[in-house]
Amino acid sequence: MKRRKFLQDLISTATAMAAAPAVEARVVQKTGIRYLRPPGSLDEAEFASRCIRCGQCGEACPNRCIKFFGTENGFKSYGTPYITPREKACILCMKCGDVCPTGAIQSLQREAETILDSVNMGKARVNESLCLSYQGKSCGVCYRACPLPDIAITVGWMEQPHVQDACVGCGLCERSCIQIPQAIRVIPKHSI
Amino acid sequence: MTPHIRHLNKLRWASLTAVFLVLILLPCISVYQAYVAAHAYDLLTPSEKEFYDVMETLTDPFVSDPEHDLDAVKGTTWSATVFGLKVSDPLAVVGQVSAGLEIYPPFLLAALIPVIVTLVFGRIFCGWICPATLLYELNTNLAAWLHRVGLPVGNRHFDRRLKYLVLGIGVILSMITGSVLFAAIYPPAIIGREIYYAIALGGFGAGAVFFVLTLLFDLLVARRGFCRYVCPGGALYSLLGRYRVLRIQRKVETCNDCAKCTAICEFELDPMRDGFGQECNNCTACIAVCPTDALEFKVDIKDITYQGPGHLGRHYREQEIRPGA
Repeated sequence: MKRRKFLQDLISTATAMAAAPAVEARVVQKTGIRYLRPPGSLDEAEFASRCIRCGQCGEACPNRCIKFFGTENGFKSYGTPYITPREKACILCMKCGDVCPTGAIQSLQREAETILDSVNMGKARVNESLCLSYQGKSCGVCYRACPLPDIAITVGWMEQPHVQDACVGCGLCERSCIQIPQAIRVIPKHSI
Repeated sequence: MTPHIRHLNKLRWASLTAVFLVLILLPCISVYQAYVAAHAYDLLTPSEKEFYDVMETLTDPFVSDPEHDLDAVKGTTWSATVFGLKVSDPLAVVGQVSAGLEIYPPFLLAALIPVIVTLVFGRIFCGWICPATLLYELNTNLAAWLHRVGLPVGNRHFDRRLKYLVLGIGVILSMITGSVLFAAIYPPAIIGREIYYAIALGGFGAGAVFFVLTLLFDLLVARRGFCRYVCPGGALYSLLGRYRVLRIQRKVETCNDCAKCTAICEFELDPMRDGFGQECNNCTACIAVCPTDALEFKVDIKDITYQGPGHLGRHYREQEIRPGA
């Protein structure tokens, strides 16, 4: 009787484990890792099925900001490119899209209009209780780091940053923030 | 002296080595380009400066603007960009189409050249280009050494059709999960990626562990077992090369039935009995080892059936029975 119970448990566990990936298949995994996809990337679910994990985007990146997932973000993300903006942010050179063979990262011109229209890696968000400018110590580093100043970020009279809807989420503001922990951080598109 | 096809095997080793060296060179170039783009030679550490100088010496004769000109060649054998031309492994296309259930035409075109070459030569990628093959063949040599000193090495046999099952299951699992799973278990893709990780990102990833396991499988379970029985890419290339135009055939007139070809074939084919089939990866080891040059490339879309014992062998046997005949 004990053995039968054991076998039943074993079979039900095995079926559950086999069925789990099928159920969660097309759902974005939530692992708590905050990462950005390279500029021009498709939506998260589509990205995993388009990307063939060839690594050319990382090889082409002159800023070497593109890293690759191991198994820490789930097996679906294995070998896919990502960016951790606080370590190294995207400089929007658009070279990764040029080498991507599958269009998982779309090929885009390096022009302000194209980038504003088509790139959406995420949106920067300011933590006002951490930001120096909001504490009366005029800083403005994020504004100066922004590749699209006055379009993506505007500043107030004490250089308090205001992130606009045009922000493409490159992460250069987060990279440059002098506060520890950073007072401005990019919320990835796939977790908004 | 005219070159003989016996020397093709040496050419093949040169080709495999060259591909492997390029896979090491490309990540180095990528790192070098990043250093150039940063315009901060003075901020590099002494070892980084040394690396920079070596790369500058290597590339200087070929490019005037390293930051951009060196973008000409990128990628691995899994997928590469060569002077603007994108070339991808057909398995990558199969994996992507099955994972996304969609067709992206530019990517299909990227596999066109490999597919045409495979239709003509069969599994030539496996024998001549695959960076894993170099390591697997060295591994076979290691096994031979171990065998010589009396250590046990694997010599088990499985059904060669197992790899078609792996390919099929891979396609189905890719469809279910919506993720290109072949990239995680296909040795050439793993090697290209892991070399890049090791050089540019500071360490090997999980793929390296998997690859070492396949090496151990080859060493301890079955000689060249992964390529023979498991590799989904090998399966796809075998299928594409089913009716390959150019194939190795035996000249029965000059064959003396010595069986060296059958003994040396790492894919366990049987050249001496005309057993080549779609699995042959053109390694030409049988041609190199044949003492009577009885093996040659022929244009034919089918293998010939067993032609019987070699005529030269029969001639020898007759001489043994009636010396002087």
